[in-house]
Amino acid sequence: MVNLEDLKKEAKAVLKDEKVKYVIGYEKSSNGLMPAPAFIKKPEDVEKLIWDPTCIHNLTRFLTDEKQKKAREKQPDERPVGIIVKGCDSRALVVLLQEKFINREDVYIIGVSCESAGVVDEKKLSKKLKDKKIENIEFDEKDNIIVTTKDGKTKIPASEILAERCLECRANFPVIYDVLLGEKTKRQPENPFQSVEKIESLSEQERWDFWKEQLSKCIRCYACRSVCPMCYCDECVVDTINFAVTADTTAEEKAQKIKWLEKSPVLSENFVYHFIRAIHLAGRCIDCGECERVCPLDIPIRFLNKKLEKDAKELFDYDSGFDPDQPSLISSFRDEDPEDFIR
Amino acid sequence: MEKVLAKKSFPQWVKTLSSYKIFAPIEKEDLWSYELIEKPEQINLDYLNTVLSPKKIIFPQREVYLEFFASNEEGIEVKELLPDEKPSVIFGVRPCDAKALTLTDKVFGGDFEDLYYWNRRKQTALVGLSCSTPPSPNCFCLTVDGSPFSKDGLDVLMTDLGDKYFVETLTKKGEQLVNSAKTLFKAPTEKDKKNLAKIQQDAKKKITRQVENIKKVPPQLKEMFDSPLWDEESMSCIQCGICTYLCPTCHCFDINDEIDSSSPLKGKRIRTWDNCQFPDFTMHSSGHNPRPDKASRLRQRIMHKFQYFVELYKNYQCTGCGRCISQCPVGIDIIEVLDKVSDYGA
Amino acid sequence: MAEEFEPKIVAFLCKWCSSAGSDLAGVSRMEYPPNVVPITVMCSGSVSPLYILSAFNKGADGVLVSGCHPGDCHYIKGNYYARRRIALVKRLLDYFGLEPQRFQMSWVSAAEGVKYTQIIKDFVQELKPLGPQKKLRRAQ
Ligand code: SF4
Ligand code: SF4
Ligand code: SF4
Ligand code: FES
Repeated sequence: MVNLEDLKKEAKAVLKDEKVKYVIGYEKSSNGLMPAPAFIKKPEDVEKLIWDPTCIHNLTRFLTDEKQKKAREKQPDERPVGIIVKGCDSRALVVLLQEKFINREDVYIIGVSCESAGVVDEKKLSKKLKDKKIENIEFDEKDNIIVTTKDGKTKIPASEILAERCLECRANFPVIYDVLLGEKTKRQPENPFQSVEKIESLSEQERWDFWKEQLSKCIRCYACRSVCPMCYCDECVVDTINFAVTADTTAEEKAQKIKWLEKSPVLSENFVYHFIRAIHLAGRCIDCGECERVCPLDIPIRFLNKKLEKDAKELFDYDSGFDPDQPSLISSFRDEDPEDFIR
Repeated sequence: MEKVLAKKSFPQWVKTLSSYKIFAPIEKEDLWSYELIEKPEQINLDYLNTVLSPKKIIFPQREVYLEFFASNEEGIEVKELLPDEKPSVIFGVRPCDAKALTLTDKVFGGDFEDLYYWNRRKQTALVGLSCSTPPSPNCFCLTVDGSPFSKDGLDVLMTDLGDKYFVETLTKKGEQLVNSAKTLFKAPTEKDKKNLAKIQQDAKKKITRQVENIKKVPPQLKEMFDSPLWDEESMSCIQCGICTYLCPTCHCFDINDEIDSSSPLKGKRIRTWDNCQFPDFTMHSSGHNPRPDKASRLRQRIMHKFQYFVELYKNYQCTGCGRCISQCPVGIDIIEVLDKVSDYGA
Repeated sequence: MAEEFEPKIVAFLCKWCSSAGSDLAGVSRMEYPPNVVPITVMCSGSVSPLYILSAFNKGADGVLVSGCHPGDCHYIKGNYYARRRIALVKRLLDYFGLEPQRFQMSWVSAAEGVKYTQIIKDFVQELKPLGPQKKLRRAQ
């Protein structure tokens, strides 16, 4: 496991040299087992930073806010933002670079390798701890997680509490960085698409019943959209109002905003939302699993993105988040793309 | 009226209420939610707290106001669709969630009564379950004038005494429920009463979270509209709707026409929950947005709950259920924010 | 006798080939079932997944996207993009448990009036036993 002091040292150095505006990392939270994103502006504040297996958030999502904020400023500070990224998070950066949403010089990337482990799932962990507060949590060398609470140390096999995304992760170290902490040890999962295959193996009716039950629960809080680093559009099809309104937009244009789906949280409309969210992430989702983590109703939305990841790989040999220079999945094609389904 | 009910008689009591629709917390894959019950045996009162409060029954996320359709004689005909509810009982209501309904009562009552809300509200009896152990590590009801055995808004309050429930009947509606199975309820013994007092005392001690100086919050807020605090505190906010949709007291809504057919015209006017944390909530059709950033939206959430509502209704618009704290994906903690507000400028 | 179920098909036809193909079928007075609501689009590559979902949401029993043969797209590459996108949409709909027969794609050139009528005939035949599409349809 990467040493916290090394991480602080890196963050402190760039803040001291005023090379970055601020560093986005993790700090202790007051609300539960997981940490909170931290925005460190002063070198002395790096003491707040933490690094342990609960550091689950994909912080690249905050680059969207940064970009919006910068666009509003009259004399924006042109320095980059420092950001701490794990393997999956770094692949989100690659996609953002590929799509030219950010420029390489906008970010100073402090990469942290998950090495042979990953991050823990809050729900799995809280079941083991039964409300006890964590004093310390770390990996040992043998794939265990050692949690210290007021009652002492507990050893839990990592596979029992790691987040699902980590159990299916294909690159557990950053693919892009300015500094890298930790080793690039690759841990190949047996089958990165296990969860998807489980659903695929169900009958048509069973699949429908599964999704019907899951999607009926959705309250359309849009947390799954809001947390996604790739959901950066100024205007989303699910919003009720045009955001791209300018002084020249006519009343007619405003009135004609197409309502693709209704606000009613009923199955048919929830379905449109989830289908579109998933398809808009085809070839872009890098499986950080944030969408699924934040859902208050525990809807397994990651299965949708993972399905598209699998299809992109199978049909088009496409992997997202490794090469910022590759054309995006749906703005490219190969002559030999399958067409056996076409009449 | 004070009674005790043996736990094993509880299903029998529910059975005698066959003329009511019964709702109670149900668990599915580790999530608790209030659902319509078919058999009394389904009810399990060993739950912590539900993701959504009983707000979702009284003030459902989707409500059909009216239907409209083109008709030959009258041009467009409109049919009002008021909910015509059978009497209902919700079991296992937490005191904070019941109190929350007394707050939404103020909003949907007063000079203009919202019939959609009240038709359900009046037909629904709330049977509470006091919190001998706080259902969430983030409970802070004591701060906001509540308590783990508060009776506000309830018709009956039950307290778990081990093998029986201590049952306090608080209203006429509640009496009717208890009277439907008179023989099952016994008078409490002195020991039961002592037990109850002890449980209540302990329960209070088990609540670990509180806002240090809540009294200072409303006056402080009045001066803090332009404070940089909102920027700092909202840095990590992702603008999702979790905190407000899950809040038992939040009540904002939107009204839309859903068109089923444009010719001949046919459709419905529908109310759905809306959410002050969404960027489009305050968007004007001119393209101007008076709450343009997340700082202004966090400010709105806090101000509404701890300043505007206090001024209007002499109550905090928060019952300390802790949902917004536990469920926030980025750890924004209303208690921390309020602590910072009360200390601000000191 | 109970009336036979007549499926409603929404067909997105590109202006330059498939729509012309369907016109040819029309002016040549070829017979084919009247179950199609044709929507002419500039190119199969311009069909957003939202169009397809919206059709199902509003009650289509089947949806067809049809464009020029590979190599013949008026915009050179549009149908290659469509081919990728539609493959993903088709698989995802299937993953959700929608009957795979309900969503089809075809290549129909301006000269293929006969092929167009055959595709529609087959589509209607395949949809009939499935009955109305209720899964994705908005309740009325
Ligand atoms: S986070 Fe969950 S409840 Fe909220 S919109 Fe997404 S799927 Fe629905
Ligand atoms: S869709 Fe979900 S898994 Fe994919 S990048 Fe966004 S948050 Fe991560
Ligand atoms: S503001 Fe938060 S703690 Fe207060 S009632 Fe609402 S959800 Fe519960
Ligand atoms: S114009 Fe026919 S597919 Fe592009």
